[in-house]
Amino acid sequence: MAEEIKEEKQFCVFGIGEREFLIPKEAVIQIVDITRIFPIPGSPDYIVGALPVRGKIIPAIDLAKVYNVERINYADNKLLVIDVDGEKIGILSDITPFFVSFDKDIVVDDYIDPKKLYEELKVKQPTASNKTNELLP
Amino acid sequence: MINQEELIKYFLLESEEYINTIIEGLEDLEHRGYNKDTLEALYRATHTLKGSASIVKSNKIATLAHKLEDLFEALMNDEIEYESSILNVIKKVVNVIVSLINELSKFKQEQSEIDDNLLRLIEDIIERKISYQPEQVTETYIPMPMLNSVRVDLSHIENIFDILGEIILNKNIINDREKELRSLVDEILNSGKKLFNEITTFSDRYWLTPLDKTHKVLDSFFTDFSDLEFDRYDEYHIFTRKIAEITNDINEGLNELILFFDNLSSNFKSLTKEINNLRDNLLMMRMIPIGRLLNKITEAIKDIAQGLGKKINIEIKGSDVKIDKPIFDALYEPILHLLRNAIDHGIEPPETRTALGKSKIGNIKINIKKEGKYITISISDDGHGIDIEKVKEIAINKGLISQEQLAFMNKEEILSYIFAPGFSTSEEVDFQSGRGMGLNIVKTTITRLKGTIEVFSEPFRGTTFLIKIPQSLTISYLLIFSSSNLEFAIPINYIEEILLADDFPEVKRDRKINHKNRIIPVKIFSELYFSSNGRDKDKGYIIIFNFSGIRKALFVENILGQEETTIYPLGKFLEGLTQYMGYVISSNGVPRLVIDPLRIFEEEFNFTYATTTHIFEGTTYSRTVLVVDDSISVRKSLQTLLESKNVRVYTAKDGVEALNILENKHVDAVITDLEMPVMHGYELISRLRKDYRFKDLPIIVLTSRGTKKHQEKAIDLGADGFIIKPFDEKTITDLLAKFEILKNFIY
Repeated sequence: MAEEIKEEKQFCVFGIGEREFLIPKEAVIQIVDITRIFPIPGSPDYIVGALPVRGKIIPAIDLAKVYNVERINYADNKLLVIDVDGEKIGILSDITPFFVSFDKDIVVDDYIDPKKLYEELKVKQPTASNKTNELLP
Repeated sequence: MINQEELIKYFLLESEEYINTIIEGLEDLEHRGYNKDTLEALYRATHTLKGSASIVKSNKIATLAHKLEDLFEALMNDEIEYESSILNVIKKVVNVIVSLINELSKFKQEQSEIDDNLLRLIEDIIERKISYQPEQVTETYIPMPMLNSVRVDLSHIENIFDILGEIILNKNIINDREKELRSLVDEILNSGKKLFNEITTFSDRYWLTPLDKTHKVLDSFFTDFSDLEFDRYDEYHIFTRKIAEITNDINEGLNELILFFDNLSSNFKSLTKEINNLRDNLLMMRMIPIGRLLNKITEAIKDIAQGLGKKINIEIKGSDVKIDKPIFDALYEPILHLLRNAIDHGIEPPETRTALGKSKIGNIKINIKKEGKYITISISDDGHGIDIEKVKEIAINKGLISQEQLAFMNKEEILSYIFAPGFSTSEEVDFQSGRGMGLNIVKTTITRLKGTIEVFSEPFRGTTFLIKIPQSLTISYLLIFSSSNLEFAIPINYIEEILLADDFPEVKRDRKINHKNRIIPVKIFSELYFSSNGRDKDKGYIIIFNFSGIRKALFVENILGQEETTIYPLGKFLEGLTQYMGYVISSNGVPRLVIDPLRIFEEEFNFTYATTTHIFEGTTYSRTVLVVDDSISVRKSLQTLLESKNVRVYTAKDGVEALNILENKHVDAVITDLEMPVMHGYELISRLRKDYRFKDLPIIVLTSRGTKKHQEKAIDLGADGFIIKPFDEKTITDLLAKFEILKNFIY
């Protein structure tokens, strides 16, 4: 058994609308219930706002805006907090995220590289051009 | 000037470090032999020691350090041959220095004389007159004086400040909660009193009324007694008695609660006081008297003046004012710059001064004052001042201002253009009036310290620069305001004045106001940040900012207050949002973005992103309902019910409170009771309907008065719905859905 686990890689599954995405389990540090999100005026549309968590704020990203996913409602929203180089950012999930394991060799679709996501979605200085929609899995 | 004792204290702290470096270096040489890097470190340590010693006028230490410096330099450059025996001489000198430092620590001055032989010995070594043959004694080091202080790494202090920031945040939360608790306690107390009164009067009255005739006791045993002879203890009596007793107990309990609460709140108060005390003390820990900085600078400046053939006298007042270490470090360049400018371009050569009837010696006055949480530094010279015509000419040539704008500007404002970027380049340095060189950098540095700089100048009389900076960078003072249901903060240090928009009815159309003979351009916050939809209220405030003499104004709808707190950075992910300096968290956990006032007024300031404020209505509160009822239980149960449906709920005890809330907050519907103290429901409804802003606001009446008459009266006055207490969840939600308050929850 122990060997088998070694061969597997663990992911966290979260969903936006009808789509599901995978993110490495190690990146996930917290799953927060969303009570209220405070919009940040002037931020790109995929940043829906900031969520205060223990006296600090975490920016909340809506990947629906990035991947053009249509969604019907926001009924059961969670914020998946991931850590990228010591900084916390949050991704909205329409489902309660759960963990799965896959064989190491399996190539997964809809895989999200936290570091890449961070770099692509990081708010650039207003002078830079912002073409974030080119980010596709 | 700064007092000598204070200076010595700092010198002792510093010298300890240098001596340690020297001893370590010497030990290294002893064990590893000749080493250029070590020699260089030794050279630098002795050089700085020499400099510091001369500031405290410890000439002997300075002389000795100077000699060692020369020796190390010679060794470093291989001018003399390194021999381990030289170390003994050096150790001897170090010991003499240390004993002098000890004297300085004890007697505040050097006492013993230096052995001339020792000095000559070093000179001889340097000049290679002798090959030094030492007696083989190993010198041991004399210990440094014991100091009543410890050196702490700045990062430790920073950590403490971070923790302190959290503590202050929690303190603010407790303070707010305490207020809530107080009103809750007051309310319970009032209800308790009412209950007590009702029951007392009721039981008293009942006690006195004779028993009902129909209530005749039928027991034949009692028939012979008249009514008055009965102990009227029927069940009802007993019940009222019991109730009265229980009420009494409750009352007693409430009195104890009040007492307890008073104690608790005085505990809170002293805790707050102590935390403030702690903060002030911690801030002091990081503070350094500004005199130390000025000492360093004035020495340098006197040299420059001499080099230019100008005679100056520098007078410093208030050098014992303390400032935060990071500010201290950052101020060095700007002040040096201003003083150098004063000497280069301000103070005339002695001959010119005599011709002008001024004293030969130019005077520079540096005046430091503490004004509340700020420090002002004024630097004045009695030179020939800034030529305002020249400033106009340059500003126009460089396209910084137009001829038309110039007509509206007063002298101060024109002068302030010397700080503008690109005002002056090196070619103007030689112009007598060309004081612009690098002033933009000075201003940028001051601005980064959240400070301001202004300039005043009189032709032939002199120039004054006035710098105003916060004493500490850790705690910021912020003005809190709200817009579109979000809260924001802005540092108050640039704010000069806050005006009521009522006094400037044309402000939104004109985008400028005429205030105190100044035309001040106005920007409207909700337009900048929300590309507002035009249905904003005209009511609001005009905040006037003073950026180093240039005034700008910002229109905001609602000011919530003032707060002192720590600003957190937004983090790398959001750092592109340069319109924000960071964020703070309010005592009830609401984040407030801190607006960078400098960015707002940049002409080209514009969001490159589409403003998206309502894209996520499902998770923000979708609608807002105001519940007006004098019963706390009704308010609480409605609040819980509605908040679970994602509706934001404001509550009010009576009509007056309700009107206050409506004045300040956006509300989508009102649910009101009819009978309330101070202002009842009928009056509230009729007042709302008379106000054009609220004439379409849905109003639902919630009352225990179920009669048709009440219902009709309420509907006549303008109520839209009627619910009879006790209510059930479905009635409320159905009715609210009808008014589209709950439409988001149909799915």
